[in-house]
Amino acid sequence: MLINRSIAVRMAVFVLVGAGCILGAIIGYSYFAVRSMLMAEMRSEAEYMAKYVVNRIETVGRSVEKIVQGMAIDLEMNSLSTNDMYHLLNHTVSNNCQIICGAAIAMEPTRIGVTNNYCAPYVYLNNGKLAAKDLGGGNYHYDVWDWFNLPQKLRKPLWCEPYFDEGGGNILMVTYCYPVFKNDEFYAVVTSDVSLEWLAGDMKKISRDIGGYAWLISANGTFITHPFPDLIMNETLFSTAETNSVPAVREAGRKVGQRMIRGETDFVPFTSVVTGQKGWLFFAPVPSTDWSLGVFFSQDHLMEYIFDLNRVNMILAGLGFALLLLVALGIARSITWPLRQLAGATRMLAQGDLNGALPKVRGEDEVAQLAFAFEHMRGDLKKYITELQAATAARERIESEMRIARGIQMDLVPKTFPERKEFEMAGILEPAREIGGDFYDYFMPDDRHIFLFIGDVSGKGMPAALFMAVTRTFLKAICRVESNPAVILRRLNNGLVESNESNMFVTLFCVLIDLRSGECKYSNGGHNPPFVVRAGGNVTSLPLTGGSPVGIMTQMDFGEGSFLLKPGDTLFLYTDGVTEAMNRDGDLFGENRAIEELRREQGAGCAQLVKSVREKMRDYAAGAEQSDDITMLAFRFFGKS
Amino acid sequence: MTFLLHWSHQAQFAGYYVAKEKGFYKKRGRDVLIRRGGYDVDMRACLAESKPVFCTTMLFTALEKRNEGVPLVHLAQVVNRANFTLVAWKKDGIFKPEDLQGRRVSLWLKEYEAPYGGFFKRYNLQLVKEPQFFTVNLFLRRGMDMRHGVDACSAMYYNEYHKILQCGIDPEELTVFEMWKYGSDFPEDGIYCLAETTAAKPDLCRDIAEASLEGWIYAREHQEETLDIVMDYVRRGHVPTNRAHMRWMLEKILVSIFPGPGAGWQFGVLSRKSYDNSVRLLLEQKLIGSAPSFEEFHPSAFACGEKSKIQNRKSEIENGVRVKTALMPGGYE
Repeated sequence: MLINRSIAVRMAVFVLVGAGCILGAIIGYSYFAVRSMLMAEMRSEAEYMAKYVVNRIETVGRSVEKIVQGMAIDLEMNSLSTNDMYHLLNHTVSNNCQIICGAAIAMEPTRIGVTNNYCAPYVYLNNGKLAAKDLGGGNYHYDVWDWFNLPQKLRKPLWCEPYFDEGGGNILMVTYCYPVFKNDEFYAVVTSDVSLEWLAGDMKKISRDIGGYAWLISANGTFITHPFPDLIMNETLFSTAETNSVPAVREAGRKVGQRMIRGETDFVPFTSVVTGQKGWLFFAPVPSTDWSLGVFFSQDHLMEYIFDLNRVNMILAGLGFALLLLVALGIARSITWPLRQLAGATRMLAQGDLNGALPKVRGEDEVAQLAFAFEHMRGDLKKYITELQAATAARERIESEMRIARGIQMDLVPKTFPERKEFEMAGILEPAREIGGDFYDYFMPDDRHIFLFIGDVSGKGMPAALFMAVTRTFLKAICRVESNPAVILRRLNNGLVESNESNMFVTLFCVLIDLRSGECKYSNGGHNPPFVVRAGGNVTSLPLTGGSPVGIMTQMDFGEGSFLLKPGDTLFLYTDGVTEAMNRDGDLFGENRAIEELRREQGAGCAQLVKSVREKMRDYAAGAEQSDDITMLAFRFFGKS
Repeated sequence: MTFLLHWSHQAQFAGYYVAKEKGFYKKRGRDVLIRRGGYDVDMRACLAESKPVFCTTMLFTALEKRNEGVPLVHLAQVVNRANFTLVAWKKDGIFKPEDLQGRRVSLWLKEYEAPYGGFFKRYNLQLVKEPQFFTVNLFLRRGMDMRHGVDACSAMYYNEYHKILQCGIDPEELTVFEMWKYGSDFPEDGIYCLAETTAAKPDLCRDIAEASLEGWIYAREHQEETLDIVMDYVRRGHVPTNRAHMRWMLEKILVSIFPGPGAGWQFGVLSRKSYDNSVRLLLEQKLIGSAPSFEEFHPSAFACGEKSKIQNRKSEIENGVRVKTALMPGGYE
């Protein structure tokens, strides 16, 4: 397919096809123009040659007619003896030996009052000398021949059908016959023989000059001259047509022949009935003799001539074509060379080599613009890559720091819990990003009491983590001196607000558990109320005590609530990352699912409980990205026994 | 011996050329020299000067010669159906015989006019007759008044009629009165010799007749080869003619030699009835004063026209058996 070829090839092909079409159209037009011009020229040449030959025959014919007419008048006006007749004939032939080669006066044989009925004095040229004889001698009945019979019966002078004079060197001869009447009675026929030897030369000249051939036919259509000697006097135009095997050619040949013997003049397309050659025929009559001249030139000859004329054009066209091919390829290459270089440079670029050499393109054309744009792009690309490398390095550093921060943060939340017979604990913290703002913790101010905290700092990432650390530090410090959760929250709030430039806050749940009695006092700073899982499987959520998130404004009061844990009861603290975990459809995990899982797993240990809820959440999320920190802390109370 | 034709070389005599060139005379031990006839050849003189001489001629001509005292004897009848036609211009208003009334018509002379005489008599036609010789140019050419020299002319269907067509005249322009369709059907070319030859050399006479007829049979069966032979004779004899014309002539003459279905004649055989009709016509037209009897004119020993018999004889000759008995029942040696 052309589309798969290079631009150079395609351009060369398109240019050559386009140029070829134009050239073809020019040559085609030139062919037809030359052809019609040549046709016209050939026609006029054929016409000219035909007229030349016709005029030659006419000149001779008319001269002969005058000569014979002169003798006839003499015979008609005077009473000539046989000797007088010989004298007249002698005189006439010797004076006109350039034109005629014999003359006779044939007397009407049935005329009354003569001794020798068949009397026909004849004077002729024999080897250039005059000879005489009586054609009626030996009782030769000349009145049976056309030359005597036709003028007598038609009562007009006429040219007989030509014949070969076998006795006189097989020369083509024709006889002009003139009937003489005296007192309206037929008296004699005066004849003159004319050699047509010179005709062959004229006809050959036509053949030579026009590259075709010419023929003469008699009034009966018989060939008088023809390039094929066998046809002369043997065939007529119609007998040759009759022999042709192609019906259309046969019919056309016959029709043209009929027009010729009718004395018409025309120039017609014609297929030679003799040779089958296609071509054109010009025909014109020879009026005096009722003959017709046909001049034929073949299409092959014309084509050859046209080809000869067009040969130089063809050669020039061929050379032009070759040159055009070179130019087209040259132009195409000048365009595609830098393109190929650019393509190579692009490949190198793709492989990471930004410093390879770019093609030098001169000028301001499209290719130069492309090369410039390419160079510009490469510069931009280099710059971008440098920046990207720096940014990547920075990001990697931050990420590294974040990983370290996470480690630190994870160290802040307890991973091990005291092993006491009164309770067991388990917790997890899974930040949504590397580090988060959730935390949980516990603190035992004395051997009988334990504080549990769970919090969720607003926002995520490093600020939340730092705020969380601050909060935890405050908490730890406050718990050492204060045992009331509501007061603890109040003091924490005041402490955080004091240096909270970034307006962060934290929701916080704090509970103090008496490990002997199971009594619990708690305060909630805007945090999700924890669930109490009773030993029987009943799960309730701790009532809200009233309190906003911690760190928003100073002097906030936080309510205090209490409840009793019986042995086997479990307190389950969590952040909103648990209940607001989402699946792919954006639906929340919700409290009910958490409660259901807690109920189902209430008999299991705390670690297992936390793990089950996390598994349940994971199943629910079904691969959806974690959107918030997930933090859970389970505390099971066993009582003092 | 000499075999003299009654006109210049042409396909009219194809069978004789074939007999000579294919060796049908030779295989019978006969060396034959075929000579052309024509206006310049006097058959009578030729018969007298070289002997033995066999010749072809028209039945009418033979009867005329007998009448003049030339003792011609008929050996075989080659052309049994007439070929005489009268060709007329349609544009001169001639479409049926009656249209010829008062017209100028060129006709061959003497016995060649005889077939037309019967036709003119039947339609009671009074015509201006012009003698016709070797060409039909008087029919083709026009006079001062631009009328044709004659309105109609005599023409052999196998010869002049086709020559007219070869002068560019279309068949549609012509009305052709075929004499044999108008009751003027007479035998034409036959093979003859002098009575003294039949008396002295009956075998020779029979051989010549048989070989000639064999030549015609061969010619009918091998027309292209026959044409080649004819053209050879024509060219050597400087006869101005062409192959197309010779083909036409051969085709047409064969039709008048070999009987088609329902034809009332036998190949090569002169029937008594045809002979009698011919004699009656010539007597009526006073072209002859008397005629010999059929038996005298045509001894039955030479009634050898049946094709099967010629072919039997041919095989006998080829097998080297020389049969010296008569071919016909009741014939004589």
